[in-house]
Order: sequence, then structure tokens, then C-alpha cells
Amino acid sequence: MDDNKQKTSVIEAEVPMGTVHPAALEPYRVRLFVEDEIVRDAEITVGLNHRGVERIMEGLPVEKANSLTEKICGICSNSHIWNSCKVAEKALGIEVPARANYIRIIMEELERLHSHFLYLAHGSEVLGHETFSMRLFYIRETVMELLGMIGGNRVQYGSAIIGGVRPRCELDEMRINQIKDGMNVIEEKTTAFADRFVSDPMIMSRISGVGVISQKDALRLAVSGPTLRATGVDKDLRRDMEEYDPFEFNVITQDGGDVKSQLLMRVMEILESIKIIRQAIKDLPEGSITNRSWEMQDVSLTKSYIEVPRGTLYHSYALEDGRVRNCVIRTPSMSNIGAMQYACVGHHITDAQLAIVQCDPCFTCTDRAIQIINI
Amino acid sequence: MNLAYSLIAVIGTLLVALLVSLLLPGIERKFIHARIQQRVGPPISSPGIMAPIKFFFKQTINPNSSMPRLYNSLPLISLIVVFILLLFLIPQMYFFGALASIIAIVGFLKVEEVMYMFMGSLSKSILSVRMPFPDLIKGAKHPETSRSFLEELSTLRAFRLIAFGSFPVYIALFVSVAITGSIYLSDIVAYQQIHGPILFSVAGALGAVVFFIGYMILLNEYPFAILKTKADVIEGPYLEYAAKYRAYVYITRGFLMFVLASLFATLFLGIAPNILNSSFIITIIVALLFPMLMAVMSAFSPIFTYKQFYPTVAAVSILGVLAIIAAFV
Amino acid sequence: MSLKSYSRGRAIHVMLVYTGGCNGCDIEIVNCIFSPKFDAEQYKVFLTWNPREADVLVVTGPVTKHTEMPLREIYDAIPEPKAVVAAGACALMGGVYKNIHGDIPSEEIAGPVDKIIPVDAKVPGCAVRPQDIVAGLVSALPLLLNAD
Repeated sequence: MDDNKQKTSVIEAEVPMGTVHPAALEPYRVRLFVEDEIVRDAEITVGLNHRGVERIMEGLPVEKANSLTEKICGICSNSHIWNSCKVAEKALGIEVPARANYIRIIMEELERLHSHFLYLAHGSEVLGHETFSMRLFYIRETVMELLGMIGGNRVQYGSAIIGGVRPRCELDEMRINQIKDGMNVIEEKTTAFADRFVSDPMIMSRISGVGVISQKDALRLAVSGPTLRATGVDKDLRRDMEEYDPFEFNVITQDGGDVKSQLLMRVMEILESIKIIRQAIKDLPEGSITNRSWEMQDVSLTKSYIEVPRGTLYHSYALEDGRVRNCVIRTPSMSNIGAMQYACVGHHITDAQLAIVQCDPCFTCTDRAIQIINI
Repeated sequence: MNLAYSLIAVIGTLLVALLVSLLLPGIERKFIHARIQQRVGPPISSPGIMAPIKFFFKQTINPNSSMPRLYNSLPLISLIVVFILLLFLIPQMYFFGALASIIAIVGFLKVEEVMYMFMGSLSKSILSVRMPFPDLIKGAKHPETSRSFLEELSTLRAFRLIAFGSFPVYIALFVSVAITGSIYLSDIVAYQQIHGPILFSVAGALGAVVFFIGYMILLNEYPFAILKTKADVIEGPYLEYAAKYRAYVYITRGFLMFVLASLFATLFLGIAPNILNSSFIITIIVALLFPMLMAVMSAFSPIFTYKQFYPTVAAVSILGVLAIIAAFV
Repeated sequence: MSLKSYSRGRAIHVMLVYTGGCNGCDIEIVNCIFSPKFDAEQYKVFLTWNPREADVLVVTGPVTKHTEMPLREIYDAIPEPKAVVAAGACALMGGVYKNIHGDIPSEEIAGPVDKIIPVDAKVPGCAVRPQDIVAGLVSALPLLLNAD
């Protein structure tokens, strides 16, 4: 916190909002320091979700370790397992067949859809608008059914394995038609909802100008993903990933950095994801979806970065005798949470809750042990 | 004979009012909210009748409060005040004079609002400061600030609502005084028997709109529910109520919906609640219509913070003052 | 059927407590109660966030160290009669965090839920299906209805 801000404002009381709270989808603790209901400072404590995943992964055979990473988070589960498989493939030099890459991208974009819908529904609920929240959950059901159809389970589908995609996730004629119909339905309902949302003066007055993160603060705190793009910075790791080369899509940015920009960003990213999925099912290449001709070797620490619905995800581990060693996982929410403490200052407490939710935190992804090194 | 009829009128009206008001939360939840949100919704008797009965059969716990017995008695006092408000609307009680006038109604409504403040300042639930979490550890920010409970936030907001949130209802009450020229309920009802309901004049129509917005504010319904939003204060002053005291809270809310609607019928339509009079049907119809309209408005709006609340109340109050001026013109 | 058990079966208030799981079960439970497709309100099940109002406590997640005391206090704050439903593989037996048999066993989990509070109904799954949650709630009902 800047020293200037602390000197000119008086902190009268502290309002702690607890481990269990309706606005919190996961357990975390927020202490808001207020002066007559306006927030002057905030402190967010994470660490309640620490289950010791990196420690459990030490010494596990690599296939088991991959399926463990999926259980880190229930919202971005496919992202973790994809990145974990990518580390092994990069380390051992395995080539993934083109059809498998397309299917992996379809699953990732479907996950981006369900994650953004969940964000919008949660944001509407914190706004106090139960009706929109329920409408969004209803639209999200179509996505969950598609994910369940391809992966086998609605949450935590386990579709990616080392060398490609699990044979169960093969896309035949019937599944492709269902995806096509699903995309049409979602696009139609989302555009109708977005028109209704933007033309509502009560909601717009509630979210404009609230929880502003300046571009300078966002870059300084290493925020990534849609939270960064909503402040006007044009950075998307998907353009650098070679799996996304055959696809054409726009990278959306918004200026403003407030809650309105964040919500509108997610809606437009939903429409872009629908575009990518449509291109994928149209141009699906032939071939096998699993590459089983590879050998295990001992490799040193390998890293992999991908773009997930919340930002940049980093996995790294080394392989020794087929087992995982020195695993490090760093999720985008680790730095997005830092932005939350700045975004809620200067607003009324109800708006501060909205500003905290706007950075799309996923606390379960984030709880690793961190070592802070003094540079 | 006359005394017997009066007694039947009073007790009968109170009973019918209680019965109808127990159905109101269910109607609001099933017929309006559930239809708008495109789902099935609970049965009509569940939120209004079955929930309070169930709460009567739960274990009575000791609330976390500095004065537990006072805290527990507040919902009952609230319910009794609303009963008394309905009592003095019945025509057979108009002989009480000043207790059946606009001034008394304003007083009773004020007691209702002050209850929230008392409840909030006495309740100290587990969901904020008491949560067993290591907050004040080495390296924590501002360890020496005083920590306040979520209910104290609610008390601050209730205080602000007492100051400005009740303007619309009071201005609407005085619209009927301005048109009919008297503060006594008996005169207001008598005026409308002769001249027709004041709802059908310009001043009366504006006053009705102002009354409706004030009705929503008084009942803490979305969008004016800043006293008990789920987003920060969870339930506000009611957090530590359990068992039969929570049942009283539920019943009071439904009853207040009915009583305010019958207040509207008395002041703007000239129909006092009296079970022996056949126009009691109209009172019941108004009592069903108002919550339904309120539910439609609340299903489509978010919660207003002070940034939107102040302008809304200011605009509605100005409308009310215009209505009073139109009454004299 | 007495008025007591009839009324207890017609208005059930459920409270959710998240104790540090992966959030998959939590989203499915919110889906079950909030989504118009599953809509638990039609089965007279209402969602509440206040332990003083709740009858049934639904717990998800393996109980991590920092969430153990809050879970105990919230359980104690619920008035009798009450029932506890443990939903998901993590709440039942620690899930993958306790049972994947790596080289170093996990020390961050304070145990599955029934080591901390008594559990009445267990709903398996990873993540648990919305249809199963309603079935689990209904199976915990007889305890509420017949309690004194």
C-alpha cells in the first residue's frame, strides 16, 4: 500500500469476512479496514486450501501424477492435466498427433466457456441479481452436458494423457453434430443475454467505475489473463502456442479495468471461443488420437506455459526412473489475488466485495507453498 | 349486541389477516420469482406456513449476544407493534381518537424501523469476528484496530435508513392528509365514502406510486435490501435468531406486508379492513397484488448501494412533494 | 403423522460449508440448488448461509488444517435436530489427497469429515452429481423427521 494513502485516511474499524461467506465460493479470509463504510485498506489471507499437492506428487509414477494435477481445481481441471502432459511430452520428445491436438483444444475451449459462465453467474449473484444468475447457470448446463458427453464426467473429465487423448474422447459423427447444435444454442442465448444485460441502467450504474485496476498496477503485480486484458494490455499466450496456429481468433481487450470491462470481456471471449470450436470441428484432421510409441527416460527439469481461462499457467517437473521429481506448479490466480487488494480500496463495502470477485480468483488452484526470495 | 359485533369484527379481521399473510411469502416465491426464473419453485405453504411451524419445534439455543433475553424478545415486540397497527385500522376502533390517526401510524412504523437497530447492535454471531481463524499474527496489517461484527455494519445502515429511507412512506401518508384535510382515519375514510377514492385523482395517483416505493424500502426488499444483502452482511440483524424467535421474524415479515397493503387500501381507496363489510375482499385483493408487484420489481433488480439509493429516494420524495402541492391546487 | 414431523419435512434449510476441496463438488451443489434445471426448491429444500437457520449441513472437501475449527464451531452453532451430509470422495475418505500412496503421505489434511463431526449421510462421487445430492438429502430426512 502506498504510504501516502495511509497517512491521509483514518482507519476506524476492521470488518473481517470469514471463512464461510455467501460471496466466497472457496474458503478464504478478508479483512477490510473501513472508515464509515468506505474501504481504506484490505488484507486477503489465503492458505486454507493447502493440501500439499506438490509434496504428494514427489515420487509418483508420471501417469498418476498427471491425473492428480487434475484434482487441484474443479473449474480449470482440463488446463492442469493438459499442461502436465505437455511437460512430459516436451521432456521426452513425444509428438502428439494433429487430431489429438484439435480435440484437446476443443476441451480447453469448452472449459473456458464453462469457467466464464460461472464467473458471470457468481458476479451476478454478488450484485444481488438472482434472476440473471439462474439464467446463466441454465445456459451453462449445455456446456456441462457437452463436456460430460466427450469426457465421461461433468467435472474432471481426464481427457488428456501423455501422447494424445484418451480413446474414450474420440469424436464421431453424432458427437460432432451435438457439439454443433450446442454451439448454436449457446451463441444465441449468450447474445440475447448480453443485450439484456448491457441495456439495464440499474446494473450498469452498479458496475461502471467500480474496482478499477490501473494498467500500471496490473503490470507491476504480474497479473495475467482476462484480468490484464481488461485494463487494455494486449497479451494472450494463445498466439504463441503452436497448437493454436491453425485457428483464427481475435484477442479481446477493453479499456477501463473496472467491473464492467471485466464482465464484457468475458462475454466477448465466450463468443470467440465458440468461433474456435466451430473451426475445430469443421477442420478435424484424420488419424489416430494417441501416440503410444515412446520410451521413458530420465530428464532434467522441464517447463511448460499455457494460457488457461484465468491467465498463464506454469508446470514443471523432472523425471527420474519414470517418477516425478521437484514438481512446481504456479497458477495465474497467485498474482491476480494481489490485484484484488488494490481494486477494492476507496469503495463502499458492498462494492468492495464486487471488486474482490471481479479478479476471478480460484483459491483452490493457488495454494502452494511459496518461497519469497529477496532480490 | 353492538359490542359483540365489534368484538367479532376486530378478532375476525385479525385472524383473517394472519391467515392471508402466512400465504404471502409462498405466493411471492412460487408464482412470481419461480416463473420469472423459469423453474418450478416450492409449494405455496412451504416458505410462509411450514417454515415457521418447523422453527417452533427446534431447540432453543442461547444467542451470542451481550443481552440475550432482550435480543430474543425483540421479534415478539415487533410482531405486537404490527398487530397494534392493524388493530387501529379497523373502523370499530376509531373511537380511540388520536391513536387512530396518521401521527400514530407514523409512530408505530418508526418503532418497527428502530427495532432493526436494536437487533443489529445486540447480535454477535460466529460468522465474522468470532470465526476461529488466526488473524492477529505477526506481520498482519493494522493489528491494533478495533474489530467490528457484520451486524454492526447492519446497524449503521439501519440508522441511515431511519434517517432518509422512510421519507417516501411518510410523504405518501401526508398526501392523503392534504387531500382530505384531516389526520384522523375516521375522517379520511368518511371523505372517500362521499367523494370517491382519492386514488383516481392526480395527487392520489402520484401518492400511490410514492407509497409503493416506500413500501419496498420499509420491507427491505431488493433493490433496497442493503440492510441484509447476501453479498456482505449475510442476514444482518437476524443472524442470531433460532427456533421460535426466528418463527416470529418470519411471521412478522408476512404480516407487515399485509398490514401495509391494507393501510394503502384505507388511505387511498377508503376501504377500512372490516370483516363484516363485504368490501373486505378488495383489501385482500390489494394485499395480494402489492407483494406480487413488489416481487416482479425485485426479481429484475440488483441491490442498490448508497450511490443509487440516495438519488432514488430524493427523486421519489420530490414526486411526493409535487403530489402534496397538486392536492392543494 | 404429527404436525412436528410433517412440518419438518415440508421446509428443509440446507447450509453449505466448503472445507478446502477442489471446488468441483461445491459448484455442482450450487448447480443443484440454484440452476433451474435441477432446482432443489421444488423439493422444499431452501439454501441458507446462517447456521442458526439450518437443519442440514452439507460438507465438501477434505478438511484442511485451517478449516477444522470453523467446521466444528459451525456444527455446534446449528440447533437440534440436525443432520450432516458429507458429499464427494474427499469428504468421505480424503479423496486423492490421502489415498494416492505417493512417497510422502500428506500431513495437511485433518482427516475426512467423520473424524471431526458425526456424519449421517454419505454421497459418493468425484465430482458428485446433482441428482445424487438430492437423493442424499432425502436419505438423511428420516433422522430429522423422527427426532424429538
